[in-house]
Amino acid sequence: MAEAPRRSSRLNKNQGEDTKGKDKSTDQDVEMSDTTEATTADSGTVKVLGAKELEALVIADIKQHFVLFAKSAKTHEARFAVRVLRSLSSLRKRLTAQVLAKVIVNSYTKGDESQKRLLEYLGPDALPAGAAEEETTSYKVETPEVDVYLHLLVMIYLLDQGQLEKGIALSSATVKTVQELNRRSLDQLAAKVYFYYARFYELSGRLAEIRPVLLNAQRTATLRRDDDTQSTLINLLLRNYFHYNLYDQADKLVSKTTFPENATNNQLARYMYYLGRIKAIQLEYTESHQSLMQAVRKAPQNNVTAGFQQEANKLLIIVQLLMGEIPERSLFRQPVLRKALQPYFQITQAVRVGDLNKFQETLAANSNTFLADKNYTLILRLRHNVIKTGIRMISLSYSRISLRDVCLKLHLDSEEDAEYIVAKAIRDGVIDATLDHEKGFMRSKENVDIYSTNEPQHAFHQRIAFCLKLHNDSVKAMRFPLKAVNIDAAEVEAARDQERTLVQEIAEADEDMDDGHDDL
Amino acid sequence: MALTEVKSLAQALSQEFNSANPNLDKCGQLLSQLKIALIELQYLTHEDKHNNVEELTVARDVLEIGAQWSVRKKDIPSFERYMAQLQTYYNDYSNLPPSPIKYNLIGLNLLCLLSQNRISDFHTALETIEPSQLHSNPVIQYPIKLEQSLMEGSYNRVWSSRSDVPSKEYLFFIDILMDTIRNEIASCSEKAYTSLPLKDAGTLLFFTNMEDILNFAKERKWKVNPVEQKAYFHSDADEKIGIPADQIIKQTMFYARDMDRII
Repeated sequence: MAEAPRRSSRLNKNQGEDTKGKDKSTDQDVEMSDTTEATTADSGTVKVLGAKELEALVIADIKQHFVLFAKSAKTHEARFAVRVLRSLSSLRKRLTAQVLAKVIVNSYTKGDESQKRLLEYLGPDALPAGAAEEETTSYKVETPEVDVYLHLLVMIYLLDQGQLEKGIALSSATVKTVQELNRRSLDQLAAKVYFYYARFYELSGRLAEIRPVLLNAQRTATLRRDDDTQSTLINLLLRNYFHYNLYDQADKLVSKTTFPENATNNQLARYMYYLGRIKAIQLEYTESHQSLMQAVRKAPQNNVTAGFQQEANKLLIIVQLLMGEIPERSLFRQPVLRKALQPYFQITQAVRVGDLNKFQETLAANSNTFLADKNYTLILRLRHNVIKTGIRMISLSYSRISLRDVCLKLHLDSEEDAEYIVAKAIRDGVIDATLDHEKGFMRSKENVDIYSTNEPQHAFHQRIAFCLKLHNDSVKAMRFPLKAVNIDAAEVEAARDQERTLVQEIAEADEDMDDGHDDL
Repeated sequence: MALTEVKSLAQALSQEFNSANPNLDKCGQLLSQLKIALIELQYLTHEDKHNNVEELTVARDVLEIGAQWSVRKKDIPSFERYMAQLQTYYNDYSNLPPSPIKYNLIGLNLLCLLSQNRISDFHTALETIEPSQLHSNPVIQYPIKLEQSLMEGSYNRVWSSRSDVPSKEYLFFIDILMDTIRNEIASCSEKAYTSLPLKDAGTLLFFTNMEDILNFAKERKWKVNPVEQKAYFHSDADEKIGIPADQIIKQTMFYARDMDRII
């Protein structure tokens, strides 16, 4: 699950952009052509090409990335760097020690320290003799971005090779460099570096050691308003705490930090999942449910993220059950989820019928699965939900029933127990009924007409507010390119002005709204 | 103070505490002395103390006695402080020799949380316990079973569980828990019944004599009718729902403004 959201469906996206690029061939800039190249390399052509050409292609790709990093650093535009990092997943599959060694040899000036160090990590076999002098006019490392990027590539390579010890050493060194450099153009790369740093430690089972480093880095990132690193680090820390079941600390971390608004969807999805788990453990099911819904929706829907989807959906099912809702049947039929959710499906069935015996049987049969998923204690809590469902069904079907019958139907120990349980259900709002102690029965109340309350109006308001917010957000998120073709400068200026006033207006309105809420 | 002195003090404390009839005040004095000594040994800042097993073990043992002492002194805040300090020793120092009373104390802590109705803290604490202990250890099972019965509403079972507590230290919290339960039952009854004969209320609330019932009824502000011997509960059914005009005006204005901007 760890890597799943990050290695997302960038491929598909690239392809989409690719066709767009071809349609509008008039205004095609650098990154468009880059993606075209990346996708052609990915698709069918690969098989036709020989090993040598393939290598050359990868090297060309990496070189292209260098150019983009330089551009990103020069123009202070993060999107070029982001674009490179997006293509990492496709590049990752094609990385070999030879390719890396070649790139490293050609990219540094001779005798550079990083060069030596990186080559050492790759091992002696990586570099065929004499290959070093092949290209002389290649790109030289001018910016630290490229340097860090090369480090990152080597780290990924080591991870795929399972060389954890080396990976730990290299990533620790890189983290140090990144911290010393303090360049805004490094932010996106730094986030990745931290991610692999934590991954190496996690795989070697030494997660607890890096907590202070991560916490420090998180603090620095917050001070520098470095959204990417900040969001990555918060998630890493949460994962770290979860690994040791330290939910108390995780909760404190969440309450003392704010997750950056501009974080990428993948990071947000993870954060939402973690948040959902914390809230579920603290019995705040409504909030947990909201977070988990977001996590499931924000996560890319494809086979690569299957692990994350399964985990999030498992938890979501439990939380839904705990809230007294029954998850939809179609959820369990999805091909990605079906097999993983099988035990949860059985539990759901037991809760839906309100059958305590069946619930206990399922629990006993699948306890190992639940323990492995760390969901066992949550499922244990479902026991009283089974009883609640049972009571609700009785209350719906009978207008009056004796406590004795309730006791028999729910397999409870005694009539007294039944009385307490029903009384508690009434207080918790599970059923709307009254008890008569002297005659020993429960009487269900008539259904109230919901349209005579303020409830519909409230729901209506929520939906309108949501739509308006969506509209405002999309206006804010719009971009007005400077170099748009066939629009003269004046028009662009006017458009920008208009955009600015709009955004300002929305901001003011938001402030007004806040004031308004204070009055309420 | 050197480590050897701290050790001898700790020894004296554990001897006094484990004797047949311990002098709790004396233990308290020893404890506060020891705490100062431990601070001098810098037990609060463990940056590079990871490997000093001896020192850490002494500190942990002292804290454990402190936690037990607080229970006997019936001092809950102090107990919680000791437990909070002990958490570090239980979670982060896996190199220490395991403590024989670790789970006993964790169980006590669970019960303490339960008795104060801090259910969400209870569950958070539960997550930190290893699953193997969760199922087999009777001291841990006990609070878990209690919580399940509480959640279901089987108060009868909670009441009867009083007789089979795993250790006498648990009794202190169980007694507090009983009061909590009584209030729970009362608040359930208020919602579930319109009226209740006083005698039945007594059985429901586990009271044995009438006076207690009447006092309790007064506390909860029940209307007692002495002729019928019945308690009546105030119902909130006749609350009227007004039209929230203010809110509606504000919302409508908000819609109008936003619509205007879109068009």
